[in-house]
Amino acid sequence: MSMHTSLRRSATTISSSTSSFLPTQSPSFQLKSTTFICSQCRHATLLRRPKRPYTFTQLVTLSDGSAFTHRTTSPAPVYRATRDTRNSLLWNPSSSKLMNVEEDEAGRLAAFRARFGRSWDASAPVTDEAASTRDATQDAAAKKAEKEAAEAQAKADQEEEDNLLDLISSFGQDEPQVSGKKKKY
Amino acid sequence: MAVRESSRHLARSVPRAFVPCNRTPAFLGRRNASDEAPSRRLSDQLDELETASSLSTTVPEDVAKSFDPVARSKGRKSQLPRSRYQFRSPKYDRGPLHPHQPPLPSDPSSRLFVPGPFSLPRAQQTYNATVASDILTLCYVHTPPGFKAPVKAPRLREWDESSPYHKNRPLRGPRGGDVLRLLRKPIKFNNIPEIERITIHSYVKGAAQENSGWLHVAGMAVQAISNVRVETFKSRASVATWSIAPGRDTVAVKAEMYGETMYHFLSKLVDVVLPRIKDWPGVKGSSGDSSGNITFGLEPEQVALFPEIEVNYDMYPPKMIPGCHITLHTTGKSDKDARLLLSAMGVPFYGKIVH
Repeated sequence: MSMHTSLRRSATTISSSTSSFLPTQSPSFQLKSTTFICSQCRHATLLRRPKRPYTFTQLVTLSDGSAFTHRTTSPAPVYRATRDTRNSLLWNPSSSKLMNVEEDEAGRLAAFRARFGRSWDASAPVTDEAASTRDATQDAAAKKAEKEAAEAQAKADQEEEDNLLDLISSFGQDEPQVSGKKKKY
Repeated sequence: MAVRESSRHLARSVPRAFVPCNRTPAFLGRRNASDEAPSRRLSDQLDELETASSLSTTVPEDVAKSFDPVARSKGRKSQLPRSRYQFRSPKYDRGPLHPHQPPLPSDPSSRLFVPGPFSLPRAQQTYNATVASDILTLCYVHTPPGFKAPVKAPRLREWDESSPYHKNRPLRGPRGGDVLRLLRKPIKFNNIPEIERITIHSYVKGAAQENSGWLHVAGMAVQAISNVRVETFKSRASVATWSIAPGRDTVAVKAEMYGETMYHFLSKLVDVVLPRIKDWPGVKGSSGDSSGNITFGLEPEQVALFPEIEVNYDMYPPKMIPGCHITLHTTGKSDKDARLLLSAMGVPFYGKIVH
């Protein structure tokens, strides 16, 4: 009889402790809690089947025509991206096509330019014109200019070489400055 | 007497092979006189053997022709009954001392088994083909032969024994703060940083203020984005202005992605979602927890750009679509490594890059 009572008492204490633990039961919480360590657990933990949302295979077509498949919860079989890494400026910083986006569908900007000139925005055509005029007028002075250009070229080459040598010799020397700057921040 | 008899403990401690065996072995090449006794005579037992081999019997031609197991199985209208014994993993884990142990989660018969992976995601292929070798090349540090790295001071400092009370004290933390940074080893072929897991976390304050609908919508949205089931969390902090009490209100939703799912999410995020965000400068260069995990946030309008939400946009109440924090956990030990990896995978960074 005494044996029975002692057994029951132990069982009740354990069940009470587990019941106080159970309401806050979630897998992560169970893993985190370090206070509740029992060498022998009398209760059984239910092994829940992991639930996974249903996924479909979707073909993603990027704006440049490349395509790849991936698994998504979206049921659409094909996704056509209008804006993606291939045509956004952030991923193609050197692309001139994406850089100067001028919305001029009605041709108004072009009309304005034709009427009032293009001195502020287009430097390349102006230089072309200047070059052509110079070619036309200065035939005689061309040889002299060529000579000067050759001299200038030689000078520039020498300078560049010096610069490169400077670069090589002064390679690791500006590091302490950088670290000092870093420390300030 | 006591000396001659080997002790019981000795017999136990000596391995089985060394213990002298009293039994006669079953068969030996040696013959004894007692083998000729009628009970043990070998020739009598040999008489019971059949003389003809079963292999030498010939099968009739018509029987051999009619044997066609493939046609028989195809001609069968219904499946054969399955074998009588089928293992079912126990429904409950009853502790380590119980005789019925559930199999490991990697075992297909386990209740916790998750099959997969079923595909090789594009981002993973990119990583394996180009990014990993690029990082290995970029992080290569050449040391000439015979070079010995200078010995660094120990990370945990010892106490100077100026006081007798310094004895047996735990070591001191590093100078300038108690944070012990991760140890960054030189990157070799076997510790190239890779993406370990991606976490989507969303704190929904409306769930505590108004009703649980906010949490349900947030859970559905995050599940749709991430392809995994979400977990909910209660608040740990008390926010009086939002009337949130610790331990009472369920306010957050989290999804963790590993492996295949993670790479699918990453390629979707980088290739489709982030470029569509208007005027998005990139991930801030100073983000990160200085141990290789980079976090950035998405506003509700930006979360709505995910193709899974867009395809079924009417399902979600437009006000309730949650914003979220996306954490990219990498195995890199510093933020510099993590940024190198992530920028190679296509995540842009802007501003002052803090390593």
